[in-house]
Amino acid sequence: MSVTVDDDLWSAVGDPTRRRMLDLLLSEGSGTATSLSEHLPVTRQAVAKHLVVLGRVGLVRATTAGREKQFRVDQAQLARAVAQLADVGAAWDSRLQRIKRIAETIQRGKDTSDETEKKQ
Amino acid sequence: MEFGTIEREIRIDASPEVVFDVVSSPEHLREWWPDEAEFPAVPGGAGRIGFGDCSQGGTWVQFAVVDVVPPRLFSFRWTHEEGETAAPGNSFLVVFELEPAGRGTLLRMTESGFRERGWDEAKVAAEHAEHVTGWDFFLPRLRAYAAKVGAGA
Repeated sequence: MSVTVDDDLWSAVGDPTRRRMLDLLLSEGSGTATSLSEHLPVTRQAVAKHLVVLGRVGLVRATTAGREKQFRVDQAQLARAVAQLADVGAAWDSRLQRIKRIAETIQRGKDTSDETEKKQ
Repeated sequence: MEFGTIEREIRIDASPEVVFDVVSSPEHLREWWPDEAEFPAVPGGAGRIGFGDCSQGGTWVQFAVVDVVPPRLFSFRWTHEEGETAAPGNSFLVVFELEPAGRGTLLRMTESGFRERGWDEAKVAAEHAEHVTGWDFFLPRLRAYAAKVGAGA
């Protein structure tokens, strides 16, 4: 998968309204532009545009049932996004673990030399 | 939690003075994050940090110290363009707050600025510097959902 596609995927979920839409689709199972807009402070037209963005990166899939398209979250693509997010999210944790290790090593060194001085 | 901010807290068995030195001195920074670090650890001190071998295709990233209050606070901005003054909107702000806790230190880290910069830039920074992003809001739900998906597969 190219970097460009990944960038699009990240941008797609970077928008608060679109994240809210994904949340709604996950909790409701499926939804239409109309049903989603009822839960959101934006127009049906705006929701429809957001659905296009989410559809372009494969996070939602549409089926036509009745008069309006029904949207669902694409599980495979969502799982893929999760994997990427988890990778990126771990970096500060490992930096902080390194900070802890370095500081504690220095502290132990200081404590040991203090004790040696006391004994002498 | 505010989307666009990463918050972490860690208990360290070392005095605030020691921890402060580790989070703020270029020599120590090189041990826990970039491969290169050049900056004066004084308020407003401008410098840069490097990832990879900077003489052979590595990446320099701009770095500017904001506040230095030993041993309680150290903050800096990074990822602004070379030649620009670091400010909200063109860089990420990292704040380390240190609090004495028994014989040790409670270290609190906050990184913010993702919303101001926009996600595309955050992603670019991520690729250059294994950057962490503000997904604390969304990630737990995604994780839980992915676990369900995984279990069902």
